[in-house]
Amino acid sequence: MMGWNKAQAARHVRRAAGAALAKGKIVEARDTTRLLEAVIRPGDRVCLEGDNQKQADLLARALAAADVGKLHDLHMVQSGVVLPEHLDLFDKGIARKLDYAFSGPQSTRIAKMLFGGKIELGAVHTYLELFARYFVDLTPHVALIVAVSADRDGNLFTGPNTEDTPTVVEATAFHDGIVIAQVNEIVDKVPRVDIPGDRVDFIVKSDKPFYVEPLFTRDPGAITEAQILTAMMAIKGIYAPYGVKRLNHGIGFNTAAIELLLPTYAERLGLKGKIATRFALNPHPTLIPAIESGWVEQIHSFGGEVGMEDYIRARPDIFFTGIDGSLRSNRAICQTAGLYACDMFIGSTLQIDLLGNSSTVTTSRIAGFGGAPNMGCDPHGRRHPSDAWLLAGKEAAPDMPAPLRRGRKLVVQIVESFGDKNVPTFVEKLDALDLAEKLNLELAPIMVYADDVTHIVSEAGIANLLLCRTRDEREQAIRAVAGYTDVGRGRDKKMVQQLRERGAVRWPEDLGIDPLDADRSLLAARSVEDLVHWSGGLYAAPSRFRNW
Amino acid sequence: MTDQKTVTPFQRHTSSWYESSARDRVRLLLDAGSFREFIGPEAREMSPHLDLFDLPKQFDDGIVVGRGMLGGKPLFVAAQEGRFMGGAFGEVHGAKLTGLLRAARDTRPAIPVLILFDTGGVRLQEANAGELSISEIMRALVEARTAGAKVVGLIGGRSGCYGGGGLIAGTCSALAVSEHGRIAVSGPEVIETNRGIEEFDSKDKSLVWRTMGGRNRRLIGGADAFVDDTIEAFRAAALLLIERAPAFDLDMLKAEQARLTERLQRFGDCADAVDIWAREGIADARSVPGLSTEAFTAIADKAREPRYDAR
Repeated sequence: MMGWNKAQAARHVRRAAGAALAKGKIVEARDTTRLLEAVIRPGDRVCLEGDNQKQADLLARALAAADVGKLHDLHMVQSGVVLPEHLDLFDKGIARKLDYAFSGPQSTRIAKMLFGGKIELGAVHTYLELFARYFVDLTPHVALIVAVSADRDGNLFTGPNTEDTPTVVEATAFHDGIVIAQVNEIVDKVPRVDIPGDRVDFIVKSDKPFYVEPLFTRDPGAITEAQILTAMMAIKGIYAPYGVKRLNHGIGFNTAAIELLLPTYAERLGLKGKIATRFALNPHPTLIPAIESGWVEQIHSFGGEVGMEDYIRARPDIFFTGIDGSLRSNRAICQTAGLYACDMFIGSTLQIDLLGNSSTVTTSRIAGFGGAPNMGCDPHGRRHPSDAWLLAGKEAAPDMPAPLRRGRKLVVQIVESFGDKNVPTFVEKLDALDLAEKLNLELAPIMVYADDVTHIVSEAGIANLLLCRTRDEREQAIRAVAGYTDVGRGRDKKMVQQLRERGAVRWPEDLGIDPLDADRSLLAARSVEDLVHWSGGLYAAPSRFRNW
Repeated sequence: MTDQKTVTPFQRHTSSWYESSARDRVRLLLDAGSFREFIGPEAREMSPHLDLFDLPKQFDDGIVVGRGMLGGKPLFVAAQEGRFMGGAFGEVHGAKLTGLLRAARDTRPAIPVLILFDTGGVRLQEANAGELSISEIMRALVEARTAGAKVVGLIGGRSGCYGGGGLIAGTCSALAVSEHGRIAVSGPEVIETNRGIEEFDSKDKSLVWRTMGGRNRRLIGGADAFVDDTIEAFRAAALLLIERAPAFDLDMLKAEQARLTERLQRFGDCADAVDIWAREGIADARSVPGLSTEAFTAIADKAREPRYDAR
């Protein structure tokens, strides 16, 4: 017999099994594993919430403690593989298949487990792709989510770290899945409703607050002079000529240096109000001096940042805040904003090849993609014009009639020619290719593809790939900024000279920048303590960043 | 007097000790143009060991030694460069400091020595030579003090004052430290590796600083002056401590021994620096890291440590 509501019926059975352990929607923390065993079925797609920032850590531990006789062969669909328990699930046989986006801290173990066949890999996604698939072919049967507080009806307050929760709940609750939330506290009335209670089936109160990683905090004290030089070149050689106002920054020290040069170096260049006014960006503490100096008009955020809560609350004109005054972040929406409404992505990477492909994997680590490729790509669906976008498009295709010409998003990689431990950033062949071979992956894990990259900035100069017309020119432009690496030393001097004359390569002297001027005294803040001062004491730096 | 830190960032940067190189510290600390370097970079006395590890060397092996004037009076000065191998002691680096202290021992009338520490300890690549140099330096330092020279340590660099540097600092006549300065023997990572993260979480910078940082060292008598992170403040402290440092004799050593014994009795069971501060009688001990320099100095001066008959 053909039925149209099988999922609904299954949902009622699951919910009833869980309700036996609950008082209303509330389940005691000690019963969490039993709840999961009652509600989840072997082979289910389960979304265990967690990204590069917040983690449903209590639910992760409870699931990893499940009886493998009752729960096995789960298909985990989740943003982040970050906690050890996320991989314990596969070691124990509770889970078998994995679709995910980011695996920073577990990047070594996940590579080993993939290689050892412990995990059947669906795909490594970008955040937006994974979210999209939640609504097409990876819809969760059960979502295990995390919030700050809940009331007895299940209304959830997610605080500054809303992040992925609305997206996960949307996909699960509206397709007859079960939603279980861990919360720090149960209250009579939540400060604001981030998730309406009718989308939440069960609530577990955790005995300690969920974990949040301060991933976007960069200590200005660790910024080097080489990074300052790259930041100066990016500001003078890219931000200024394109007039980039709407943008996203990566999390590296180079872009932190740019943020700290806005009120000093960029101000001296007369660029205030002309560049870097609107961001799709987490609340980077290193942006505080620029905000306080009146540079920034608006920021929408993927997630929160530990310690920035009070500062954000006091700057509602800049950030998106709820009626309770605290930040409202939303990863899916901010990723979309970064993709379609920003004219530039600028971020760092570990390896760049001769075409301009870049990757952050090494042969023993799979860190996943997170959101960088959503920012670091040219969205061909874009239709609205902006000066920066049009100018980049014109450089790429000068002969195309203007009304038919696409603009281009500026996708900028900012690096030092030698990275951590003096490993060359510029290589003939990416480690990602070796890894793909080793694991039989159909796609090498490329973070930003060569055809999306428009500029590469290093301490040696800027390569403008929009102005390169042939594969040879492109390779020579990249070699020209590869410094003293083998790739850099392999450059053709004559061709590089021609590229410099055309502006396809610009060395510091071509930009009127003296490398000796790259000094830490240019930084608007040189320590985390300086950032606290700039914030008027509103920024509460996490303990691990406080050298006082 | 303000109680909370309110200094604006730009003011702080006029002459940050923390941000300066060893050479800039020496140049700006001493009377203008008075510094004469011994065995300068042009002599190219470099480490004989680093080639073996394919590591870069520096022409001065990461330490500047020489003679100059402070407030119109002559003294010897040594400054470690914390940005070269973490200011670590190698064979040549150590020998330059030993030689300077022996010069102080042999100079009549005695003139003071300033040591601008900025070191993680002994350079692992030349461990034996480095360890030997630590004991040679301590011996030379004690001989110089016996001969009447006051040896004052200034600590506020990026690499702190760790390992053998912490031991040498312990033999100085007096120490000045800034907020960012750290003084200890075992570093945070070493403690965590040997005793576990429950004993000491090396990534918790706040814990590291309230344990080893300038404020706690000042409050428990591990340093004699607490100064702002400016070269001017270190200069003033150097002048003051040269003036005030106690003579090196048996009475002083006995007093110091008694002070340390009593300190261990009073604070030995404290699990955290905040417990020590509370027991020291500081009203709101948790607020100590956030106090302005003036407010903190007032509190530190009221606390019992150090007593100037000791050290």
